[in-house]
Amino acid sequence: MERWEGEQIAEWGVRNAEFAMQGRVRTLRIPHSALRILAALWRLNLAEELQYRANFVASVLGTLFWIGTALLTLALFFRHTTRLGGWDYWEVVVLLGVFNALTGVIEAVLRPGIGRLAGEVRSGGLDLVLAKPVDAQGFVSFRRLDVWRLTDFVLGLGLAGYALSRLGRVPGLLQLAAFVVALAAAGIVVYAIWVALMSLAFWFVSVENLSVLFDAVYEGARYPVTAYPGALRFVFVYLLPIAWTTTIPASALTGRLGPEIALAAAAVAALAFVLARLFWRAALRRYTGASG
Amino acid sequence: MSRLAEWARRYGALIRNAWLVDLQYRASIVLWIIWGVTEPTIALGIWWAIAGDGQVGGYARADFARYFFALMLVNQLTIAWDSWYLDRWIREGDLNYRLARPLHPAHEAVADNIAYKARSAGVILVVWLVAALVWPAVRLPLAPGRWALTALAVVLAAAMRFFISFATGLLAFWTTRATAIMGLHGGVALFLSGRIAPLALLPPAVAGVAAVLWFPYMLAFPVNLLTGSVHGTAALLHGFAGQIVWLALWVGAYRLAWTRGLRRYGAVGG
Repeated sequence: MERWEGEQIAEWGVRNAEFAMQGRVRTLRIPHSALRILAALWRLNLAEELQYRANFVASVLGTLFWIGTALLTLALFFRHTTRLGGWDYWEVVVLLGVFNALTGVIEAVLRPGIGRLAGEVRSGGLDLVLAKPVDAQGFVSFRRLDVWRLTDFVLGLGLAGYALSRLGRVPGLLQLAAFVVALAAAGIVVYAIWVALMSLAFWFVSVENLSVLFDAVYEGARYPVTAYPGALRFVFVYLLPIAWTTTIPASALTGRLGPEIALAAAAVAALAFVLARLFWRAALRRYTGASG
Repeated sequence: MSRLAEWARRYGALIRNAWLVDLQYRASIVLWIIWGVTEPTIALGIWWAIAGDGQVGGYARADFARYFFALMLVNQLTIAWDSWYLDRWIREGDLNYRLARPLHPAHEAVADNIAYKARSAGVILVVWLVAALVWPAVRLPLAPGRWALTALAVVLAAAMRFFISFATGLLAFWTTRATAIMGLHGGVALFLSGRIAPLALLPPAVAGVAAVLWFPYMLAFPVNLLTGSVHGTAALLHGFAGQIVWLALWVGAYRLAWTRGLRRYGAVGG
C-alpha cells in the first residue's frame, strides 16, 4: 500500500510539472488567473460538499450546541456579577456573535486550507503546491471552502443582531459601516495569525498539530479584553492581537467605540497582513522539500 | 514466571514503547499542554475579575487560583484521547493487526495513557512549583494524607475517563460521528465536571443534575480533595462511592460496546 502511494505521488509530481509548464505560459497571458483559479477551486468544493447534505444538518446542530454552551457559560458568570470588564450581558453576547461569525470563516476556509500546511511540510506534499504556477501562500490559504461551516458565520451575525436589539440600540449607517470594516479587519488579523503560526511548521517539522496553538490562543477572544488582568490584556492587544478580532468589531457595533476605530482596525489588519507575509516568505526559504 | 511478573513485563514494554513514540513528538505534546492550560487560565482570569476584592459563593481570588491550578493538573492526569484513536483504528482498519496480537488492544491504550500523563502532568507540576515559589496563593499545605486520598481519587477518575472515552470511541463501529459525540460529552462536562467553575457556583438545579451523573466524579471531586474543600468523612465516602459505582457502570458500557461492536466489524483494508 505504501509503495502504491509512492507511485501515485510520483505520477502526480510529473503531471504537476507538466501543468506548471503550461500554466506558466497561461499566467502570462491572463493577469486575473488568481481569481479564476479561486473560483474554479471553490466551485469544485461546492459541488463536492453538496453531496454531503447531512453535514449541513450536523453543522447547524453543532453550531447551535456550541452557541448554547457559550451562552450558558456567560449566564453562569453573570449569575455572580452584573458586568464583565465593564460590559453588560447583552454586550458580551454581541461579542459572542462576532466570535462565532469568525469561527465560521476559520472552519470554512482557514482550517481546511492553511491548517493542513504543517502536515504537508512534514510529508513533502507542499512540493506539489510549490510546483504550481500560482502564489503559494494564496493557494495554500484559499484552496478549500467547506461551505456548510459558513452556517456559523450566519448564525453568529444573527446572534449579534438579536443581542443588539435586546440592548435596544439601532446602529446608524456610519456605525454599521465601521462594524463591517472592523469585521473585515478582524478576518484579516485572524488570517495573519494562522499564517504566522503555520509558518512555524518550517522550523518545527515534527509538529502536526500546530493548529491546536491557534485554538488555545483564540479561546481568549470569547470575552471582552477589558475583563482580563493587565498582563493578559497587554498580550491580547499587542502581541497576539486577538483583541482586534472580537472586542473591537463588537465595540464598533454597540457604539462603545466611535466609528473612527475602524481606521485603526484597518491599519492593524494591514500591518498584521504584511508581517505575516514577510514571515511566510522567510519560512518558505527554509523549505527544502521532502518527497524529492 | 508468575502471572503478575508477566503482566509487569508486558506493561513495561508497552509503556517504554509509548514513551519513546511520545519522545519523537515532544513538540506536539507541548502544544497539547498549552491547549490544556489556556482554558483554565482564561476561566481563572474571568473569575479573578468577577471576584475583585470580595468573594463569589465563598471563593475569593486566591481560592479560584488554587482551584484552577489543581484543575489543570488533575485534568492532565485524567484526560483520555482514546475515542479519537479508536475512531481512526476502526475507520482505517488499524484495529485489524491490533486484534491479531495476543494482547487486548485496550492494554496498549492504557500504556499510552500512562506514558502521556507521566510526561504532561510532570510538566504541569513543574510549572505549578515554579508558580508557587513566587505566588503564595497557589501554595498547598503539606498534608500527606490528603495527597494520598487525592492520588486514589485521581486514579479512579482517570480509569473512568478512560472507559468513557474508549466506550464512546467504540461507537465508531456503528457511526462515523463517534468523535462528535465525545465532543458533545466534553461540552456538557464543561459545566457539570467543574471545568468552567467550581460546582458550588452552579445554579442549584444544574448542580442537582450533576450530582446524579458521573461528571463530578471525573474531575471536580479529586480537584476539591486536592484543594481541601471536601469536608467530613460522609462527603469523602460519598465521593469515592460515586466514583466506584460510575466506574463500574462505564466498564459495563465498554464491555457491551466491545463485544457487540466486534461482532459487527467487517474489517477494512489489509
